[in-house]
Amino acid sequence: MKIRPRHWRIVSQSVFLIIFLGLFFSLSVSRVPGALASAMLALDPLTAVSTALADWTIPRWSWVGLIVLILTAVLGRVFCGWVCPLGTLQHLMSWIAGPNKRKRAKINRYRPYFALKYIVLLVLLGLAALGSNHTGWLDPIPLLHRAFAAGVRPLWMGTAVPAGWIAFALLVAILLLSAWMPRFFCRVLCPLGALLGLFARLAPFRIRRLEDSCTGCTLCVLPCQGADEPLGDHRVSECHVCLNCLEVCSEKSLFYRTAGEADVVSPMPDLDVGRRRFLLTAAATAVVAPVLQVAGGGFKGSSHDAIRPPGALDEEAFLSRCITCGACSASCPTGVIASDFGKTGLGGLFTPVLNMRHGWCEPSCIRCGEVCPTSALTLLEPEAKQTIGKPAEVTIGTAFMDRGRCLPWAMNTPCIVCEEMCPTSPKAIEFESVQSEDREGKTITLQRPVIIPEFCTGCGLCENRCPVGGQAAIRVSSVGESRDPKNQMLQRVIVGAET
Amino acid sequence: MPPRRVDAVSEAAGILECFAAATATNEPRTAPARSPPLPLPRAPPPNSWSQLARPTAASVCSIGREGAVKTTPDPTKDYTAISRRTLIRTWGPAAIAGLALGGTGFALHGRQGRHQPPLPDSALPLTDWRMDANDRRLAIAGDGGPVENLRRALGAMGGIEAFVKPGEKVAIKPNCAWDRRPQQAANTNPELVAELVRLCLAAGASKVTVLDNSCHDPGRAFDRSGIAAAVKEVGGVCAHQNNVSTEVRNLGGTVLGSWEVLRPIVEADRVINVPIVKHHSLSRVTVGMKNWMGAIVGSRPNLHQRLAQACAELGDAFRPTLTVIDATRILTGGGPTGGSLAQVKNTDLLAVATDPVAADAWGASLLGVEPQDMPLLAIAERLGVGAVAWRSVEIGVEP
Repeated sequence: MKIRPRHWRIVSQSVFLIIFLGLFFSLSVSRVPGALASAMLALDPLTAVSTALADWTIPRWSWVGLIVLILTAVLGRVFCGWVCPLGTLQHLMSWIAGPNKRKRAKINRYRPYFALKYIVLLVLLGLAALGSNHTGWLDPIPLLHRAFAAGVRPLWMGTAVPAGWIAFALLVAILLLSAWMPRFFCRVLCPLGALLGLFARLAPFRIRRLEDSCTGCTLCVLPCQGADEPLGDHRVSECHVCLNCLEVCSEKSLFYRTAGEADVVSPMPDLDVGRRRFLLTAAATAVVAPVLQVAGGGFKGSSHDAIRPPGALDEEAFLSRCITCGACSASCPTGVIASDFGKTGLGGLFTPVLNMRHGWCEPSCIRCGEVCPTSALTLLEPEAKQTIGKPAEVTIGTAFMDRGRCLPWAMNTPCIVCEEMCPTSPKAIEFESVQSEDREGKTITLQRPVIIPEFCTGCGLCENRCPVGGQAAIRVSSVGESRDPKNQMLQRVIVGAET
Repeated sequence: MPPRRVDAVSEAAGILECFAAATATNEPRTAPARSPPLPLPRAPPPNSWSQLARPTAASVCSIGREGAVKTTPDPTKDYTAISRRTLIRTWGPAAIAGLALGGTGFALHGRQGRHQPPLPDSALPLTDWRMDANDRRLAIAGDGGPVENLRRALGAMGGIEAFVKPGEKVAIKPNCAWDRRPQQAANTNPELVAELVRLCLAAGASKVTVLDNSCHDPGRAFDRSGIAAAVKEVGGVCAHQNNVSTEVRNLGGTVLGSWEVLRPIVEADRVINVPIVKHHSLSRVTVGMKNWMGAIVGSRPNLHQRLAQACAELGDAFRPTLTVIDATRILTGGGPTGGSLAQVKNTDLLAVATDPVAADAWGASLLGVEPQDMPLLAIAERLGVGAVAWRSVEIGVEP
């Protein structure tokens, strides 16, 4: 069998899909460096572009995405055809269950509504420029990552949440649609594809047709992935560089190369966006962004009682950087980090919040900060989030006693679990000993837990282990989190000042 | 020469050769002669929706060359030949995009980002508004009503002209925190505030702002206290947390640090503190230093966990030109909000001081509270704000 370009592409797609899954599993393997485990997310150019717009920074390794953009400006959308794991899954789906040859002649034609993805990109980048970074909702890499992190992993961790269902349903819908139209998501919706499409228009390497020998037989249309009209006016911005057309061309008239003087000089068709639609969309985005920020919730950390993972930036910066990829959630050894749905409003959809009944924040663990591709969770020293002798530098909240549910407080029943579990030193939970009578009239000594808020880090081990089911009798609230100077209840004491 | 099957690598090599050929020499290129470009058979643009909605086999085929006849490639042609102009046109945009992206990446990578949590205590400290840091005096006047009392006590201190110079911006900080009438003695006496405004303006002040961060709705507090109307009448301006902005200032201390301060105070050249003497449920007495709570904006309730320390540090941070203690009516219980007239005592006294601690100690004495019962005074004295023994700095007042 002769090795053809298509075979190289399939090898590349398989390798990157395996790398994607491998890295996903390695998120929770602490031996693998965190930056490596989230490397696939750093490879995503939309991450770099959206954080650059939203927070004027290209954090950590996400500048690698810009190299992908430069490559795209030379080679076209090779990322879509050769790398993107969501593209690969759709490709696979349409190969297994896609339309037959006869239908493909029609369904692989370009349609003006494919320009919707440029509108999606415009809206998402507009929102990002106005401070609401939501590219992660539709960006294929975070989308796929989240589908696994929030939708699949919690199934064996026993920590499933509603957001996981939604995240996974999105993936299923995308795959089902690709059975109807190959790469429907890539062609119509993908904001990353749109961004790469814009740069691909500059690419010197593209599909070029020899004028002399092409007979217009349309064989190249049948296996086309991007619906980019290799036979007509080739739409470079739509082409996924799958190179299927090169192989099927019976006249050997198609080439993937830079300009030859004898190639068909076809004018590059404009994007079907149009100036009016562009301006209208931009204006609508400018109106919606503030509304989303005000009404969508999530912007004021203290207004909702969502506990963010340790090292999270202040809420505004956090939301402008979080691409909702779920890497933190997939890296968490205790499964405490859940994908949010509802708690932090629309603005915080899919962002990480801690659910202490699912797990707790392990005092010496900094994995979520290690893997976060955008430094929305900063990298901490393990010591920073521990109370050893002095209060911890980084806290995520404070535990509160519900005396109406606590066994020794409400039911004269001895229980010391929260105090026993408290990992701080000195313990943030102490006892208040009282003499009391049980139901038979016997005198018993009760040790009633009392919280010392200065020492509490909000780790939630007490809430996680509280024997009171349902709503625990000791619960962590976000107040006192070190990232938000406004969400405090204790008076600050500045050490070292004159008294 | 048959057309080459070109893959990316050999193509790139070919491009480099061409590039070298195109740039290395000015000699005419020796590429094989090419036939002039053929007139292009144009495919119908596939953009029309009606055409695309139901593409027929015919329409699909028609994209290609019309009436196409299969031809074999011309073996004499070099299909990879490329002119310098084409080279620049094909590679130029990509090169520019690459440079722009690289530059952006270099400029932005690893930046901290524009949203940063406020740096603790990096703000500027407040101005010291005192005329003379060593001037520690207290003048007490009584039995003449607020206006007359103020005239006499100020006169003993040297008159307002000694403290307010022409052209200066003055901020006056009364206690105007509550939605209470003057008779209820929860807020500073409006006649006294208005008289101070009038005196400052008469001394040549360019602008006099009366301001407070009220605990009740500020509009109601300023109206009900009578301060809004009285100040407006004499030409002053009222400001509160809802109609002026703030600026972060480092107030220092062990419990304060950085706070938002009402901007008119930050921008003022002279500041006059005009508290009223009241009972307070937590600090026992609230007079002058506690009154600075109304100059700052933020989570003030938190300060009440170490109230004495916080008030003393406020007194250390805010060094007013003058402290005018209003004891026309004092609130003996139910403070600081009051409400019941039964707890209001008409004392008809007033003190003007350049020593805030002495002023507070004198105010406390009116409520029968000894300085040793008020830890805030001891802390303030330790911080060097003033002297607790107010009698030692008292000066005589002409009757």
